[in-house]
Amino acid sequence: RWLLRSPFDRNVPVQLELQELLLDHVFQRLGVASQGCVDHPIVLTEAVCNPLYSRQMMSELLFECYQVPKVSYGVDSLYSFYHNRRQNWPCSGLIISSGYQCTHVLPVLEGRLDAKNCKRINLGGCQAAVYLQRLLQLKYPGHFAAITLSRMEEILHEHSYIAEDYIEELQKWRSPEYYENNMHKMQLPFSNKLLGSTLTSEEKQERRQQQLRRLQELNARRREEKLQLDQERLDRLLYVQELLEDGQMDQFHKALVELNMDSAEELQSYINKLSLSVEQTKQKILQAEVNIEVDVVDSKPETPDLDPLGSEQSLEDVESINEFEPLFAEEQPEAEKPVAAVQPVFNLAEYHQLFLGTERIRAPEIVFQPSLIGEDQAGIAETMQYVLERYSKEQQAILVQNVFLTGGNTMYPGLKGRVQKELLEMRPFQSSFQVHLASSPVLDAWYGARDWAVEYMTREEGWITRKDYEEKGGEYLKEHCASNVYVPIRLPKQAPRSTETLAPSRVLTSSAGNPCEQA
Amino acid sequence: QSAGGEAMNENKLLNTDSSTGSVETTVKPLPFKDPKFIHSGIGGAAAGKKNRTWKNLKQILASERALPWQLNDPSYFSIDAPPSFKPAKKYSDISGLPANYTDPQSKLRFSTIEEFAYIRMLPSDVVTGYLALRKATSIVS
Repeated sequence: RWLLRSPFDRNVPVQLELQELLLDHVFQRLGVASQGCVDHPIVLTEAVCNPLYSRQMMSELLFECYQVPKVSYGVDSLYSFYHNRRQNWPCSGLIISSGYQCTHVLPVLEGRLDAKNCKRINLGGCQAAVYLQRLLQLKYPGHFAAITLSRMEEILHEHSYIAEDYIEELQKWRSPEYYENNMHKMQLPFSNKLLGSTLTSEEKQERRQQQLRRLQELNARRREEKLQLDQERLDRLLYVQELLEDGQMDQFHKALVELNMDSAEELQSYINKLSLSVEQTKQKILQAEVNIEVDVVDSKPETPDLDPLGSEQSLEDVESINEFEPLFAEEQPEAEKPVAAVQPVFNLAEYHQLFLGTERIRAPEIVFQPSLIGEDQAGIAETMQYVLERYSKEQQAILVQNVFLTGGNTMYPGLKGRVQKELLEMRPFQSSFQVHLASSPVLDAWYGARDWAVEYMTREEGWITRKDYEEKGGEYLKEHCASNVYVPIRLPKQAPRSTETLAPSRVLTSSAGNPCEQA
Repeated sequence: QSAGGEAMNENKLLNTDSSTGSVETTVKPLPFKDPKFIHSGIGGAAAGKKNRTWKNLKQILASERALPWQLNDPSYFSIDAPPSFKPAKKYSDISGLPANYTDPQSKLRFSTIEEFAYIRMLPSDVVTGYLALRKATSIVS
């Protein structure tokens, strides 16, 4: 949909050329001036359970192209969790992180991600924006082009909220007073393209004139052809008549038979009719030439011919002109409307307004009810329940004491109340739970990464050095308190033009990565 | 003729740019990069100048599945959320209110009489748009 190209496919970078462009821009802006290398350690976020291939490509980019000394990969929501920690670190909790492309439910035990019980819902802010866009485009088909994704994101940021009880909230929207009070009107910029047509009224008139002119030319041509044919026929008949007058009876009779006629009187009557029609056609041609100079729009349809020979053709002409006339009659009053914009019947300002009623709660609701857009994955609430049920009762109680919401797509007003209500429904009667929001859901991941980097700058844990990269491959990961879990599978090294590939093998050493300090 | 030649030259420049991974001719080369870097992810094994597309996520995941995972290993595709066990609630396609009724002709859901009248006046592309929005378009029509 976007005209911008992004290196991401869902939440995984796949187009590393574009990633390279982004990093170029970043390093330039940061003023990196070292020659031949970027002489700084880099902390980079990756997707939860990032595919090994993608990590391999990213490491290759960083180490080979930019010659970075050491790299650390972590998960953004875990960094955010780390940033929002209180004194009792390492703590456990259930992280709900909703981003642009997907939403994760991440259980964290003793400060360490329990990766095998994570779950990811493939819906996020992007899908909410697309859903809202399609809803509005279907409701206002005339403004198809004006309903852009960036305007949809603005609506989501400023005018949308999450209902604490969706069904109850919808019932509130049924009443007209509630609708009047809470419906938001979005004013679109004025555009001249009204009534679905892309032509202005002058252009429409010109088109009509062109069509009329073409039709008239066609008619004139047909008339001339008919005239020619009739003339030839008339000449033939006259010639036969002359035969009679000259007294050549045999030839005359033969000719009569050829012509399919019985007597001289019939021949005479045909001659009369033909000469009459020839005269009429000639007159019509003259008249048409005169008419073209007169104002084209006001020309009336011509009276139909009663000529038996040429009747089909002339009827066709008349019919096609007649077809155009009703069309023009319809278009004339419509063309009046955009010209007289001060008519009270047609309110231009209101025409360019979008009314947001229930769309304000429908678009963000898709992460709770993916069936709204036909996805068969479970929503946040059901996924939380699914994840919790994989633990013992005691662990569940611990996790629920610290439910942590982070990520840009969690900034809707009303989300915290909704999550609390869902927890109330799924937890045992009178058990306790606590829901916290990140202090700054969008930027906390960066703050957390900064905290981690400052703390671990001089230590070895968590950093993948150049040497590690060369020995253990690009997919290698050193675990730390905010990272993924490393699965020691060795990928074959991709080469652009080599044909040899090693079979992917499992590294025989024990699970790699220094244990993080807490374990 | 000259315009065509220039366009071709531009294309060639772009081609060499992306294949060598560094910006050579039109922009000043950035000092902190290795100018001889080539992405190894471009193309497959027998890539020449043709196969310059990256693998997209689907292809990456397909090849990841073939790796020797153990039973409890977390991987990108194993953490996909499961499908929902609860039956989906039905909402009106027009207003989003809970819908008790479905139009048999167009299969759109509605909740009030006014919505029904509105549905019956919709052009067919808007109808298919609403159905496609909740992935209810039937393949056999």
